[in-house]
Amino acid sequence: MNDITVLKRWIGGDESAQEMLARVPRPFSLLPPLHRVPFRVGNVVELVGPSSSAKTHILIQTAIGCILPKNWNGVEYGGLDQLVVFVDLDCRFDIMRMSEMLIHRIIEAGGTANQDYDENLYKLCMSRFLYIRCSNTFEFLQTLKTLHYRLEKEKEAHGFCNGLNLLMIDSIGAFHWVDRASTFLPLKGNERKKLFLQTVSEAVVRETKKLMQFHRMLIIATKSTIFGDSYPTPSNVLKRNLTKDDGQDERDSRNVTRNHQNFPYHEYMPSVWQSFVTHRLYARSSDNHLVTSNHQNCPLYLLEWLMPRLNIQEKFVVKEAGIFVV
Amino acid sequence: MAPLKSLEQVYPTIDSNFQNFCASHSIFSVEDFLLHDVDVLVASADNQPRPDMLKQGITQLQSIVDRQAPPLLNGLQLLEDTKRNTHVLPTGCEGIDAVLGGGLRKGQLTELVGPSSSGKTQACLQSASTVAKKEKTSVIYLDTGNSFSPQRIAHFVGHTSGSVFLAQADHRSLKKVLDSIICYSVFDIFQMFDVLHQLEINMRSELLKSDNHVGLLIVDSISSLITPILGSSGPQGHALMISAGFLLKKLAHEHNLAVLVTNHMVGGEGGQQVVRYMARNAVESKLYPSFVQDSARKNCRHLPPSPQPCLPTVGRSPRALVTLLI
Repeated sequence: MNDITVLKRWIGGDESAQEMLARVPRPFSLLPPLHRVPFRVGNVVELVGPSSSAKTHILIQTAIGCILPKNWNGVEYGGLDQLVVFVDLDCRFDIMRMSEMLIHRIIEAGGTANQDYDENLYKLCMSRFLYIRCSNTFEFLQTLKTLHYRLEKEKEAHGFCNGLNLLMIDSIGAFHWVDRASTFLPLKGNERKKLFLQTVSEAVVRETKKLMQFHRMLIIATKSTIFGDSYPTPSNVLKRNLTKDDGQDERDSRNVTRNHQNFPYHEYMPSVWQSFVTHRLYARSSDNHLVTSNHQNCPLYLLEWLMPRLNIQEKFVVKEAGIFVV
Repeated sequence: MAPLKSLEQVYPTIDSNFQNFCASHSIFSVEDFLLHDVDVLVASADNQPRPDMLKQGITQLQSIVDRQAPPLLNGLQLLEDTKRNTHVLPTGCEGIDAVLGGGLRKGQLTELVGPSSSGKTQACLQSASTVAKKEKTSVIYLDTGNSFSPQRIAHFVGHTSGSVFLAQADHRSLKKVLDSIICYSVFDIFQMFDVLHQLEINMRSELLKSDNHVGLLIVDSISSLITPILGSSGPQGHALMISAGFLLKKLAHEHNLAVLVTNHMVGGEGGQQVVRYMARNAVESKLYPSFVQDSARKNCRHLPPSPQPCLPTVGRSPRALVTLLI
């Protein structure tokens, strides 16, 4: 008898769609240039691009949008009031740059003409930014395995019990070559079935998924294209500048071939990671320089949405105060 | 991290029974443990005789992992840490110092890229002598092409070469400078690893004695070590290169060294390859003699948006145009 009531309740469903909509957190959008697609908790965003295509800058900009409060002393900052965990695998994150951009942002939102800013707000924001530096795969795995309770502690300290967090990984392919050449300790008798690289990726994805069970998280990972893909090296730029017309043709023809492929780059991460990713963007620097009055001579960067496929190409410049979409 | 066998003496819970259990999951070291799902291990321990003992062992391993995990810093701590340790070492070339915002940044890796005879070695020698003379710290000089020249150092210190009428005091100061520049001739990447590992051990043991510490590490040029290993199709060459990059960065970061490496830029595709790989691998600041390009990242933010090429006087070599790439 009891079984039947349980069964009936299960069949009957326990909430209407409206109730569910009210319960499920609304999708949120991040700062430009990632503003086109709203994200949900549990999304994994991958930002692909060659070296020096402003990937880390996009991360910093996004982080600043998350650590800022929505309101502070009556001033609208439009932030998300979140903790950000930045896992630095490339080992070249520059905190000074981040601090500088944050200050710019606070001054800009405050709307005051002078260069004063609220020191307490600055400190609050900086303390919401958590940083871990890993210089090999095992340190990365150690980090993922221990992050759960460390995050718990930080959340308690900041008074976010059920808050959302942003986990940033810069960059996920940093140890690719080393892992690819690594082998396990030799086994006596039986052979191991999998390659080291694959096992590592599986462990990374598994530990990240576990972390996502405990914390409401959005993950943004950058990935450098480490296989020879044509991107402007200084001498290419030089060549192009010398023979402007040829360079233009070459670039056009490359664009055509790129449209035929799924990826404009060589994918090297194991499939377990690829299927973990829910959103993918491709950043690159453009050879053109923008010459307008307020963005004088800044290098121009381009950002495309690969997943979901959007036909918009974001153009932005990096200036002292941060990223500006043009 | 260590094989489980070696942990047995320190941690009695990791006994032979536990080791056998781990071996059945092909776990022989803490690294192997990191790659495994702890929940699966715990579940499997439940099916074994004496699961409590096994679980104790697992907990023990987890606490070892916890202790070794890289530290989590918040933005304020990180900034304070960086501010405390950020010093620049002037190179003695006015142009380079201006582009870098005062000189080579401690704790960072700076790469000097350029074609043959663009003054890279001269800039290295001058940096070495300036740092040894003015900063009173030791300089480690890894010379891969027999291009180190004590006569040039003497020249930079302020003596014309071959002068026999040196005053006693001048002689002493020259001797002091030459004493604090330690040159190693290194002809393959494995030798470089040897030297760097030895250096790491030495610095760790000398950490307590503060006098005569190393402030600058120069590798001139790193490309002649890396080019020979990149030829093969396997991943080993790339893995060695990336490891070298991470090792240099780790040394720079942990011991607060300024690291300066030079890299070739030759006409063919191969040479450019090297430059590109190193760029995406490791480099925090990149100097590029005799080439003009705008950039908007990293250290360049100290500069106006379009940095003017500078004209350092680099010894007898042609006056080079120096620009910051990253």
